[in-house]
Amino acid sequence: MIGFLIRRILQAAVTVLIVTVIVFFLLRAIPGNVAVAILGPAAYRNPATLAQFNAEYGFDKPWYSQYLLWLGHLLQGNLGFSWTLDQSVASLLGQRLPKTIILVGISTILALIIAVPIGLWQAVRRNKPVDYTFTALSFLFYAAPTFFVGTVLILVFSVKLGWFGPEAPQGGIVSDLTDWRDLVLPVVTLALVTIALFSRYMRSSVLDNISEDYVRTARAKGASRRRVLWRHVMRNSLIPIATLLGLSIPGIFAGALITESVFNYPGMGYLFYQSAQKQDYPVLLGFIIVVAIATVVGSLLADIAYAVLDPRVRYA
Amino acid sequence: MGSFPSRRRSRRLLGAACAAAAIAITAAACGSSGTSGTSGTSGSSGAAAPTGGTRVVGGTATYALPPSTTPNYIFPFDSSTYFSVVNAEDFQYLLYRPLYWFGNGASPTLNTSLSLAGKPVYSDNGRNVTITMKDWKWSNGTPVTAQNVVFWIHMMQAVASTDWGAYVPGGFPTNVSDVKATSPTTLTMTMNKAYNQTWFTSNELSQITPMPEAWDRTASGASHCTTTVSDCAAVYSYLDSQSKSLSSWAGSPIWGIVDGPWRLSSFNADGNSTFVPNKAYSGPVKATLAQFQEVPFTTESAEYNVLQAGSAGGNQIDVGYLPTTDAPPTKSANAIGTNPLNSSYYLSPLYAWSINYFPLNYQSTTGNGPVIKQLYFRQALQYLMNQAAVISGPLKGYGVPTVGPVGSVPATNYLSSTGKSGDPWPYNPGKAKSLLTSHGWNVVANGTTSCTHPGTATTDCGAGIKQGQQLSFTLPYATGTEWIAQEMTQLQSNASQVGIKLSLDPRPFDQVTAIAAGNCVVAHISCNWDMGNWGGGWTFVPDYYPTGETLFLSGSGANSGGYTNSQNDSLINDTLTSNSVNSLYTWQNYLAQQLPVIWQPNGVYQLSEIVNNLRGVIPQSTTLGINPENWYFVKS
Repeated sequence: MIGFLIRRILQAAVTVLIVTVIVFFLLRAIPGNVAVAILGPAAYRNPATLAQFNAEYGFDKPWYSQYLLWLGHLLQGNLGFSWTLDQSVASLLGQRLPKTIILVGISTILALIIAVPIGLWQAVRRNKPVDYTFTALSFLFYAAPTFFVGTVLILVFSVKLGWFGPEAPQGGIVSDLTDWRDLVLPVVTLALVTIALFSRYMRSSVLDNISEDYVRTARAKGASRRRVLWRHVMRNSLIPIATLLGLSIPGIFAGALITESVFNYPGMGYLFYQSAQKQDYPVLLGFIIVVAIATVVGSLLADIAYAVLDPRVRYA
Repeated sequence: MGSFPSRRRSRRLLGAACAAAAIAITAAACGSSGTSGTSGTSGSSGAAAPTGGTRVVGGTATYALPPSTTPNYIFPFDSSTYFSVVNAEDFQYLLYRPLYWFGNGASPTLNTSLSLAGKPVYSDNGRNVTITMKDWKWSNGTPVTAQNVVFWIHMMQAVASTDWGAYVPGGFPTNVSDVKATSPTTLTMTMNKAYNQTWFTSNELSQITPMPEAWDRTASGASHCTTTVSDCAAVYSYLDSQSKSLSSWAGSPIWGIVDGPWRLSSFNADGNSTFVPNKAYSGPVKATLAQFQEVPFTTESAEYNVLQAGSAGGNQIDVGYLPTTDAPPTKSANAIGTNPLNSSYYLSPLYAWSINYFPLNYQSTTGNGPVIKQLYFRQALQYLMNQAAVISGPLKGYGVPTVGPVGSVPATNYLSSTGKSGDPWPYNPGKAKSLLTSHGWNVVANGTTSCTHPGTATTDCGAGIKQGQQLSFTLPYATGTEWIAQEMTQLQSNASQVGIKLSLDPRPFDQVTAIAAGNCVVAHISCNWDMGNWGGGWTFVPDYYPTGETLFLSGSGANSGGYTNSQNDSLINDTLTSNSVNSLYTWQNYLAQQLPVIWQPNGVYQLSEIVNNLRGVIPQSTTLGINPENWYFVKS
C-alpha cells in the first residue's frame, strides 16, 4: 500500500506540472491585452504605462520564459500577486478557500447523509409510489439550473416567508458558521442537486447488488432481510458513491460559481470568474494548482476508499 | 486631464456569463408590482421622494456597491490599475477630500462649500493662480495647509507619468512651471502659458487631494517630499505598499488621519467597509448617522434579492439599485415607471456626467479606413443609429440622446443651444441612402452596397476607395449589457436597409476596450479593426469641463480611432485657452457635425433604490460622489 501511495503521489506531481504548462499556454492564448485589462482602458491616455506594465511582468518575453519565471517563484512558495484584487494569491486563496469548503463541504455531507438512505429506500421499494416520487424529484432537481433553484428558494423562504437570509453570511469564517440562517439556502440549493445525483447512483447500485448471489446465499443461511441490507448490500453499494465523492473533492475546492453569485458569497468559484474576466493570471494559476491537487488527491482517496469498502481490492 | 472610458453599472457585473443573465431574467420574472411614481431627471432625479418625518440622530445606513467591484486602494493617488469610481468617489473621498469638490446637487460644477480652498484666483491673464486654503483640519488636529497641497503636486511631479491614472503627456503637472506655498494658507502656481481658467480649475486643480504631513515618510521614518521632489518616489513607494495591505487599513495610523467627514472603522478584503463619523471634521455638514456601511455584491441579481427581502434577511440595504432588466418602463427620462419595490423604497435614476459613443477607426488596416474618413459615410451611418428607438425600447425610457461631444444630462451651460435642441441626426434611412447614392455608391438594400464611381470629385466615393469596394465592417461590442446588444442588432438591421453590412462580434468588455479604446498607432497595438463599442462612452470625472483634448485631439492616446482634423484641433486649443464658454460652443457645434465617432444613447448610470425613511440622498451627484454625511433617518 505504501509503495502504491508513493507511486501515486509522484504521478500526481507530474500531472499537476503538466496541467500548469497547458493552462499557462492556454491563458496566454486568450484574446485581448492583459495590460489594458489590468490598467483599464484609461491607460491608453499614457501608453508609457502599458509598456512599463508589460516590462515589469514579463509580457514582453516569450510565454515559456514567463512560465519558467512563474514556476521558479512557485517552487519558492510564492504564488504571485493579484493585479486586480491587490492581494497576494496565497492570501486570496486563504480567504476564499475556507468559505467554499464550508459551503460546498456542508452541502456535500448533507447530500450524502440524505441521498444514501433515499437511494436504498427507493431500491427496496422499487416501482412503488415512493420510488416514483423520489425519482421524479431527483429528475426535477437534477435538471433544474442551480440559479433557478436558488432564486426560487430566496423568493419563497426569504422574500415571502422571511425565514432565512437572501444572501450567505457576509462576515468571516466564524460568521459563516454562526449565521446559520444565512447559510441554509445556499447549502440547500447545492445539496438538492447533489442529493438528486447521489440518490440515483445509490438506487442503481443497490438494485445491482440486491440480485447478487451473495445476497441470496446470506438469506438462505438465515440472515434477516435488514441484516443483509445494512451489512452486505449497503457496503457494496457505496463503492460508486465513493467514486463520486472522490470526484466531488475538486468541486469542494473549486467552488460553485452560480450558487456563490446568487447568494453573494465570494468563494473560489467567484474568484476564478472574476480573475478570468480581468485576465488576472497569477490568481488563475493559483486556483488551477489548488484544483489540480484536489483532483489527484480526490482520485487517490477514492482508490483508498475502494480498498476499505471492498476487501477484495488490494493495492500492491 | 483625462476622464475615463466608462463601463456602465450593468456591465460591471458578470456581464458575459449566461448564468448571470439568466439569474437576472429570473429575478425580473419574479418581481412584484407596485404603484407608479414620477420624477424629474436633470442628471440625478428628484423622484417622488418621501418627505417629512422627525430626524433621528444615529443609525446605520447601508450602501450597496456596484456589482463585482470592491475598494482595493485607499491611498488617494490612484494609478491606472486603481483608477475607479469604487476606489475614489465611493471610498477615498469619504476619508480624504479633494482640494476642489465638483458636484452641486446634480450639477457637475465646483462646490465651493465642500472644497478645502476658496475659489482659485487667476492673474497674469490666467498664467498664475493663487489658492487660499480654508480653515479645515485633519483628524489629528493639524490644519490642512498649502504645504499639504504642494506635497501632492510634488508627488505628481515625481511619479505621475507612470503612477497617476489621470495623467496625460503634456498635462498636469507638466504644464505647471512653478508651485510654492507662500504661507500655510496660500499657494501660488505658475503655468507654462495662459489657460482657460474654468478648464484649469475643473480639469487640473480638480485632480488634487491634499495629503497630511504625517504621510511624508518612508518605512525608515520622516521624509521631505513636501519640500524636495526627489524624495517623493520613495514616499510614494512606501504609501503604495501600505495601501496594498488591505487588512491593515482600518487600524493604520497613516490612513487614520483624515479630513473627510468619515473615518474607516472596519474593512475586510471582501469589500465590506464600515465608516464612523470623523469627530474632528471641519466641513460644513457633520454626519448624523452613527455608521455608514458599504457592502459588496457579486451580481445585480444578488443585490436585488437582498433589496426584495428588505429587513427579513437581517441585511437590509438602505441605498441600492434596481437591475436594468427589472426597470419599470417609462415614457421619458423625466419620469419613472412603476417601482417594483415601492412599498419600501423609492426609485431615483442617476445619470452620470457623460457622453456615449462608439469609435470608428480612421487608421484601420482592414481596407475600410478610406471609407471611414468620408464624412458623408459617417453621416449615413449616424442617420441609421435610431437613438430614440433605443431609448424607448431597450432602455425602457431611461436614457437621453448623445448630441455631440458635450453631455446633455445634467443640464449645464456647457451645452450649446444647438446641442440643447436635441439629436442632430434623427433616424432617417432615406437620407442615409441618398448620401451614399449621391457619392457614387450602388445601394443594394439587404445586400452589400458597392462603389461604382471611385474618385475624389464631390459625386465620387472618395480618396482611396476602389471600384467595387463594399460597405462591409466588423463591429465588436461588449457583452453584458442587454440594451447595448439590442442596440447593435437594431443598427445592424437598419444598416442593412442601405446595404451596409455590419458583422457584429460580441466579446467581453475587456477585450473590446483592448481593441478599440486606445489610439492604435500611438499605443502600438493592432489597427486591424473598423469599429468597436464598449458601450459606456466617456465619463467626465475627474475632468469636469468637457473639452476634447483627451478624446478628439490629433495624436491623443485616448483618441480611439485616430481622428485627425486640423480645424478641430485648433478649436480644442481655443477651449483650453479662451475663458469664454463660446469657444466650447463653437467647438462642440463643429464636432457634433463632423461625427468623429458614432453618437449613441446615454443610458441611465444607476436606478437607485432608496429606503423610504432615509433622507438627504437625493439629488444624487452626476459626478458620482456620495455624501452620506447628508443622510439621516426619520421616524414618522
